[in-house]
Amino acid sequence: MSGRDWVVALTLCRRELRGGLRGFGVFLGCLFLGVLAISAVGSLGRALEAGLGADAKAILGGDVSVSLTSRDLSPDEADYLRGFGDLARTLSTRTMARANGASVLVELKGVDALYPLYGTMELEGDGDVQRLLAERDGLFGAVVDRDLLTRLGVRVGDEIDAGEARFQVRGVIVREPDRVMEFFSLGPRLMVGAEGFLATGLSQAGSLFRVEYLLRLTGRDVSRTVESIRSAYPDSGWRVRDFNRAAPRISTILDRLRTDLTLVGLGALLVGGLGIAGGVRGYLGGRLAHMAAMKCMGGPSRVLFASYLMQVLFLGGVGALAGMAGGSLVPWLAGRFFADILPIQAQGGLYPAPLIQAALFGLITTLAFSMPPLFRAVMVSPSGIFRGYIAADTGRMPRAAILPTAAAFAVLAAMVFQFAGDTKLAGWFVGGTVGAWLLFKGLARAIRWLAGKAPRLPWASWRIGVANIHRPGSPGVSLVFALGFGLTALVAVVMVNVSLTRALTAELAQEAPAFFFMDIRPDQVGDFRALVAGEPGVNRLDLRPMIRGRIVRIAGVPVENAAVSEEVSWAVRGDRGLSYSRDFPSGSTLLRGQWWNGDYDGPPLISLTSDLAEGFGVDLGDTLTVNVLGRNITGTISSIREVDWRTLAMQFAVIFSPGTLDRAPQTWLGAAYGQGGEDGLFARVTAAYPEVAVITIREVLDSAAMLMQRTARIFQVMAGVALLVGFLVLAGAFSADQHRRIYDSVIYKVCGATRRDILSILVAEFSLAGLFTGLGSLILGTLTAWGVVQGLLKMRFAPDLSTGLLTVLAGVGISLVMGLLGTWRVLGKKASPFLRNE
Amino acid sequence: MNSTPSVALSDVHLTLTAGSGPVNILNGVSLTVEQGETLAVVGPSGSGKTTMLMLMAGLEKPSSGTVRMAGADLTAMGEDELARFRRENLGIVFQAFHLIPTMTALENAALPLEFAHHPEARSLALEALEQVGLGRRAGHYPSQLSGGEQQRVALARAFAPRPRIILADEPTGNLDEDTGARVMELLFKMQAEETATLVMVTHDRNLAKRCGRTAVMHSGRMEER
Repeated sequence: MSGRDWVVALTLCRRELRGGLRGFGVFLGCLFLGVLAISAVGSLGRALEAGLGADAKAILGGDVSVSLTSRDLSPDEADYLRGFGDLARTLSTRTMARANGASVLVELKGVDALYPLYGTMELEGDGDVQRLLAERDGLFGAVVDRDLLTRLGVRVGDEIDAGEARFQVRGVIVREPDRVMEFFSLGPRLMVGAEGFLATGLSQAGSLFRVEYLLRLTGRDVSRTVESIRSAYPDSGWRVRDFNRAAPRISTILDRLRTDLTLVGLGALLVGGLGIAGGVRGYLGGRLAHMAAMKCMGGPSRVLFASYLMQVLFLGGVGALAGMAGGSLVPWLAGRFFADILPIQAQGGLYPAPLIQAALFGLITTLAFSMPPLFRAVMVSPSGIFRGYIAADTGRMPRAAILPTAAAFAVLAAMVFQFAGDTKLAGWFVGGTVGAWLLFKGLARAIRWLAGKAPRLPWASWRIGVANIHRPGSPGVSLVFALGFGLTALVAVVMVNVSLTRALTAELAQEAPAFFFMDIRPDQVGDFRALVAGEPGVNRLDLRPMIRGRIVRIAGVPVENAAVSEEVSWAVRGDRGLSYSRDFPSGSTLLRGQWWNGDYDGPPLISLTSDLAEGFGVDLGDTLTVNVLGRNITGTISSIREVDWRTLAMQFAVIFSPGTLDRAPQTWLGAAYGQGGEDGLFARVTAAYPEVAVITIREVLDSAAMLMQRTARIFQVMAGVALLVGFLVLAGAFSADQHRRIYDSVIYKVCGATRRDILSILVAEFSLAGLFTGLGSLILGTLTAWGVVQGLLKMRFAPDLSTGLLTVLAGVGISLVMGLLGTWRVLGKKASPFLRNE
Repeated sequence: MNSTPSVALSDVHLTLTAGSGPVNILNGVSLTVEQGETLAVVGPSGSGKTTMLMLMAGLEKPSSGTVRMAGADLTAMGEDELARFRRENLGIVFQAFHLIPTMTALENAALPLEFAHHPEARSLALEALEQVGLGRRAGHYPSQLSGGEQQRVALARAFAPRPRIILADEPTGNLDEDTGARVMELLFKMQAEETATLVMVTHDRNLAKRCGRTAVMHSGRMEER
């Protein structure tokens, strides 16, 4: 095309656009919603990341954190750390808080005089935390979550007990600077001073408590400091982190959530592509006569193509810009209105990268979906237009459009791979999208085919309605695509949620223990066993020793250099519970090797679970070195066990042979099974062993289910956006088809159809199409959910029949409502104006 | 001869409200057509010819007066009763054919029979298509047919239910002379075979001459020649 051709194309484009944006509602709506969803998720993700970055020191609690479990630093070690700057110390554990005869499991935290090194502690009524925690008249102070006051039935000023100490509640916590995300919490916070914590007696050697030293560096480099600490005490078992990795788990979760939600948003945008294509088709359909006339006057097809492509891209730009503008407001809105429910303070601001990315997704989608109708329009023969009837759009792609359309979709797929970063996930998304497209395409074809082959129904209206489905350009068929994706996404989200909630609340509750007991001292084990086993309703009690330790070498290789798979990286991230046992633990299966004899007294042997063996790349005969309270112990793997973690039974990944850890400082863990008498057991254990933390499994599961539902809701919102876009697409398809249906209805009337006949035709057409759409979505959504639950989460998939039924009904209902809404007016229309000769 | 007239319009007025005020479209039209008669309605554009035809089809309601077709008073009927009346008694042919573009010729021709729940709808429609010489084009869509062929499908649709009255609005208006003549041959032949009443609006004087009677419309009034 010559430069002059481009000028002509541009001039034509400008003239056509003088008419404004009328008729582009659906086109712009679909693009706006799709780009908005993607840019909103992206912007919010960046704002949270920025918030995390800005508050990183407060979240970590210092520039550098050194943490260890079940023991404190020696004075020498503490002096070494103090050489780097200000050194603060916090202690934490789980225990029971008691008052008025009630006991509540709490997250107890003891802080010293420097707390907090960074950030501010927010209390109701703006009190000073250090002043409130100080000892007054022989009584330590405490500040607590409001929830604890309610559950213990106490008020500020009242006294509560924890361990062997008594505290006076002096304040209520609003926000703790270093407590970022309550993804999962076993109980409310009870914050006391370090002295108060020590007075509880819960920090004896071997007890389950955690000590964290926080450093505020004075003019030193953070990474070098971390390196120095690590190399000075290589076998200390400490976990050393700097503020750049303040909350690695949260960063990972946020990142994953952002990717997943963006992909759902992109799915919505792709559904919107149908609306974009419909908008372009409708717009060009109204201009076929102009094009024909221009062709007759010598306008070349390529100039017309260029001109209309420019128009489409211009309009695409308008839609994408609007979406970007909406998305850019989200960080600000989130910071202002949703600060309470967000895990981290979102940092308001403009984040261009996700906005540009979303706009690019929008523009490429516009291009990909506009190609076929553009090519079809410019290839229509002018003579065909003057025949009186323009051949109905068969939807067949012109040959010339195949390459550019494929190229646009390939760019889109490449962008998905580039964006997701995770090749597997991107592959699943692209594969899933293509699969869904093929399935719905196949379904649409099947519906048409079945409608064509359907036996002659005895009712004329139903016969015509069914026949309408297999007619060219039937809107009933576009239903399948428009509604299909949104319904599929909703089914998948709901089914995953239902499966997980059911697994957590119903199935697990049957198999799981009723209570876990933590921090039983070795000398209490015998009496404890007698007390609990004698309780009515308890049919099994497992009691096992636990020693905190950290895996430092795998097959002789330091853990930092060992290749550990992502799935089991949790096992080497910090301290883990180790155990020792004479007997083979119940609830596990021996896969390889041999369990040691009951009287074994040789060098340390280890029984390892199969998931860790696989993730570490070790097998029988390999060694593992663990660090327990600063001492390295190396054992040889002598057996591999399989454990079903889903049963929530008390299991240890690493079990040592007897004689190795027996004398290490330890506490015992217990798990009681049975039903009935829970309240009595809880009351008696908490009364007899106030320092033993009792975890009620029902509360844990409820809390997990609530978390699951909260996450599911976010995905439901995104699936809802996809469904909304689907509605828009449908509305567009129906509105584009409105004229034809009015005309058809008028002719039906002329031929003697009553209003009931016409309604019946529509009901037949749309309910059948809706039924197939609902069924298709149900199948695809269920398969997706099955893949996620069984494949990704490794949990049992429980299909939900009522969701299935609701989906099918929704498919039928929505399509009927949409179909009838658009046609209701038609029924009352006077026929004569449509029949007069022009 | 049947004692009940096929078409009986009595002092029919139709006034529509336009932006500039009420417009009288029909001013006291009275007309009787007996069963089997053929009537041509001629007159200048805007004289109310098509409106009168629409009234006869029950697609318009008069402001006053009565419209009786095949003995039934259309002015007393509701919309659905009118629809049922049309499918049992009327066949309508338009200048612009008004076929449904997404339906084949056969499906178009079968429509009124389908709505009448006729058990032989398709075979009767096929028979009608064969009568108009389009038996082999039954599976074609309107866009695949010429103008003359489309009008023949419209004729088949109008005659397939064997109606008592045929209303035709400029049936050759969109056709060339030869095609128009062939279509009219068919129309009159089918009308004669069925002894149907034919009321035809036309501008073509020669066509009008082929009808038994001619009525002239002028400014909403009717005179008979």
